[in-house]
Amino acid sequence: MDLSSNRTLARADNASALPVSPSERSAKALLQSVFREDRFFLVLSVFIGVFSGLAVVCFRFTIGWFRIYLLGSGIVIAPVRLLLAPTLAGLVIAALVLHVFPTVRGSGVNQTKSALYIYNGYIPVRTAVGKFITAALAIGSGHSLGPEDPSLQIGASLASALGRRMRLSRDRMRLIAPVGAAAGLAAAFNAPISAVLFVIEEVIGHWTAGILGSVVLAAVSSVVVMRWFLGSQPLFRIPPVEMKRPSELIAYAILGVVGGFASVAFSSGTTAMRARCKAMPRWTQYFQPAIAGLLIGTIAILGAPQVMGAGYVYIDEAMHGQFTWQFLAILAGLKIVATLLSFVSGTPGGMFAPTLFIGAMLGAAVGGAEHALLPHFTASPGTYALVGMGVLFAGFLRAPMTSVFMVLEVSGNYSIILPVLVANTFAYLISRGLQPNAIFDVLTRQDGLDLPSMEEQREEGILRVEDAMQPVSGPVLSAEETVDHALREADSAGADNLVVRLSPEGWSSITKAELRTMADAEIGGATVSSLLNDRRIPYLHPDHPLEVALRYVERWPVVPVVSRADFGKLEGVISQRDVLERYREFGEG
Amino acid sequence: MAASQVDKARPAKGDDPQLYLPREPVIIALLSALAVVLFLAVTGLSRLYDAQQESLGNRWFARGVEDLQAQRFDRAAVEFRAALLYSRDDYSYQLNLAEALLGLKRTNEAYAYLITLWDRQPEEGLVNLELARIAVQQNETDRALRYYHNAIYAAWPTDQEGKRRDARLELIEYLLRINAKTQAQAELIALAANLGDDPAQQLQVGDLFVRAQDYEHALAAYRVALKSDRHNAAVLAGAGLAAFESGRYPVAYRYLQAAVTGNLNDAQSAARLKTTELVLEMDPFQRQISAEQRNRIVVKAFTAAGERLKGCSPPQSSALPTAPPSLAESWEKMKPRITMAGLQRNPDLVEAAMDLVFNIERQSSTVCGTLAGVDQALLLIAKLHEGS
Repeated sequence: MDLSSNRTLARADNASALPVSPSERSAKALLQSVFREDRFFLVLSVFIGVFSGLAVVCFRFTIGWFRIYLLGSGIVIAPVRLLLAPTLAGLVIAALVLHVFPTVRGSGVNQTKSALYIYNGYIPVRTAVGKFITAALAIGSGHSLGPEDPSLQIGASLASALGRRMRLSRDRMRLIAPVGAAAGLAAAFNAPISAVLFVIEEVIGHWTAGILGSVVLAAVSSVVVMRWFLGSQPLFRIPPVEMKRPSELIAYAILGVVGGFASVAFSSGTTAMRARCKAMPRWTQYFQPAIAGLLIGTIAILGAPQVMGAGYVYIDEAMHGQFTWQFLAILAGLKIVATLLSFVSGTPGGMFAPTLFIGAMLGAAVGGAEHALLPHFTASPGTYALVGMGVLFAGFLRAPMTSVFMVLEVSGNYSIILPVLVANTFAYLISRGLQPNAIFDVLTRQDGLDLPSMEEQREEGILRVEDAMQPVSGPVLSAEETVDHALREADSAGADNLVVRLSPEGWSSITKAELRTMADAEIGGATVSSLLNDRRIPYLHPDHPLEVALRYVERWPVVPVVSRADFGKLEGVISQRDVLERYREFGEG
Repeated sequence: MAASQVDKARPAKGDDPQLYLPREPVIIALLSALAVVLFLAVTGLSRLYDAQQESLGNRWFARGVEDLQAQRFDRAAVEFRAALLYSRDDYSYQLNLAEALLGLKRTNEAYAYLITLWDRQPEEGLVNLELARIAVQQNETDRALRYYHNAIYAAWPTDQEGKRRDARLELIEYLLRINAKTQAQAELIALAANLGDDPAQQLQVGDLFVRAQDYEHALAAYRVALKSDRHNAAVLAGAGLAAFESGRYPVAYRYLQAAVTGNLNDAQSAARLKTTELVLEMDPFQRQISAEQRNRIVVKAFTAAGERLKGCSPPQSSALPTAPPSLAESWEKMKPRITMAGLQRNPDLVEAAMDLVFNIERQSSTVCGTLAGVDQALLLIAKLHEGS
């Protein structure tokens, strides 16, 4: 089987699907060719993006309305409202979550992963409705949560519903939730690249052209819709990005270290407190969101109303030097506390916005402190706030790629890349070193699920063909030699399985028993090639994953492993036994 | 072909093209229709939302403007921040918030807003002016000058000429404060070139020229002002001062006399007039005076210098026998010859006597400070004839 024969095979498969000749081409056939499921899926992705975008726009409106009617339209909020709004909203949310929408707790990222890996893409519509109402109420009333993750889940839920109505195949259904998730996140974040990367990095874990195409189409169309209604301005005004000198990277490294420790504190606090809250009697769940709301209101009354809600307004102000670095540091600490309270109490809402808030405050605080100590060494704190967002994203959410592109996309400035890379790397390494499991993985396990950890998958060692292949011990037969000669060579080498070099190119294999059968049938004078016409076998390369070899070693006793530079150069051979032996050793190791 | 590629060539599981054939166009049409309907519905909702946001923004802005005008800066700042919740990028909301923050002396916060506004519209006059003022506070002279010049050539929504003039006047005041007199003079010349005949403006420019020690231009400005308002005492006083400082004492006398007549309470002009009179009276080098008059002035000046020496002895130049004689010695030595008769006999003594008088007055003023009256007049005459 060579390249051309496989192409022929592929064409033959397609031909059987579309059995038309040019003369028979008709409108029906044209439609058939256009509306194959993979293409239809791409079209569907655009609609998913449009619907998700519309849903996210409505979600943003609803949060705004809740905010105005519960907390008032001004900046200075009456203390009574500060206490009552999140507390009473917490009671309503608890009742809704416990009795009407039991699946809307948490951020929504894990629920989307569950849909992909456990429920074949199924997310009930009720989840979208419930998430929409409860998260909007929570954020609008001042709980320290963000709209991004709920938007992600709303998008996934809408996509799932649409996929079910379209009766898509199981494979497509599994993928449709992440497509919707990307659309929802992109619209909420006004950042399509970051949304696509996050979904691929944290939800799907791998990508192909088909997946990427769908996810990108959905994300782009949802952002277009969102911008149509809400405008194209970013979530916050971007300060002028500047780096005074290369040595300033040291200052960003310090920010990365501080951010790494803050991420660990935030995530370990979240997981530990959530476990305790979950272990409490069920009746307490009616009051947990209300108590969280009461405490957050108290923090606000005591002088930090900035911790309430998503807090984008204050991220914007921090980026533009509106607070002292001491107050910024306090705000970062208080936001961690407020978000912990909101999240562990089971209040539906997202972690993205609080993470960005904490990162921005921490970044601006570190930048401000450094600027106060060494005014000529560091730039304005605004740039540090921007980098700080990426730092927490890398350290807390453990999405290193997304964290880098998120800052680039939000800032629209490529010159920030070096500080972001340096700071994010430090934060990610510290966070990973001190807390081996990413926050989403721990939360999943607390919920009794075992979803694949994308981080573990990324870090997992991959066995390759070169790890199991054996050097060629026996003779390599030529296709032109006679069966008798080949048998003598096999006998003298004591090899049972032999590799055959075909002419002019290609490889095959034959067993000694087969050769002996031929010889016994008195056709020992025939060439080996005359026996192998239909036995051109696939070959492998040393860097192929070992699982690829597993597909072929059952059919052929030995599979040749050849150089990528020279297909005629045999690097080794691999058999089923070699593969299994390697896997066994790996498992034991 | 590599084995992995063999797999990719196979059709995906569940990818049955026949399954979707009949209904896809219909589905897409239905989805499109649904999208249009939902789009329209959200458009309606969006209008409702936007209208509410705009109304809230305007309401908070109006309150903020009211408080800003009443100089209740803290309340105004809170209200403008509230307005910005509903329209984050609104130019006037941000500008007014920056003004309120400046009123609260929260310069850094105000600067953050202003610099954002400047990035958006660098040609905006008020933003440049406020940035210049912040730079002045921060002693950033280069930045201040840049923003002031931006403001001078910027676009202003109303009364463009007036706003530009005010910006330049503010720049000149700043330059004078930091003692950059040459730059101030340059700005003043540019300002004066674009001024009309308004006496108030000309008076202001004249005063600034005086502060910049450009008395000739100051006098010119006052003269323009006097064309429109001949009896303006302030302008007359200014013109008198400018003429006085530029050594044009006959002109100064005329203006100062008119100024004092016009405003009897103007003590400074009166004092200056008196000094001017003395200068005119004590200057022996005036033309159109007789030899006798000149000799009388010289005798009087010489006597005054002697009195000055008695009250304030400049230090001895040296105790060495080769050192030049002291002023007192010189004065004593010359005294017998400085009489009406002596001067008449030897007119060349006028020059020598006056040189000694000027030296005595100069050194005395250095050691003991300037006195009023004849001594001051002699000093001014000395300055007037320096180098001649």
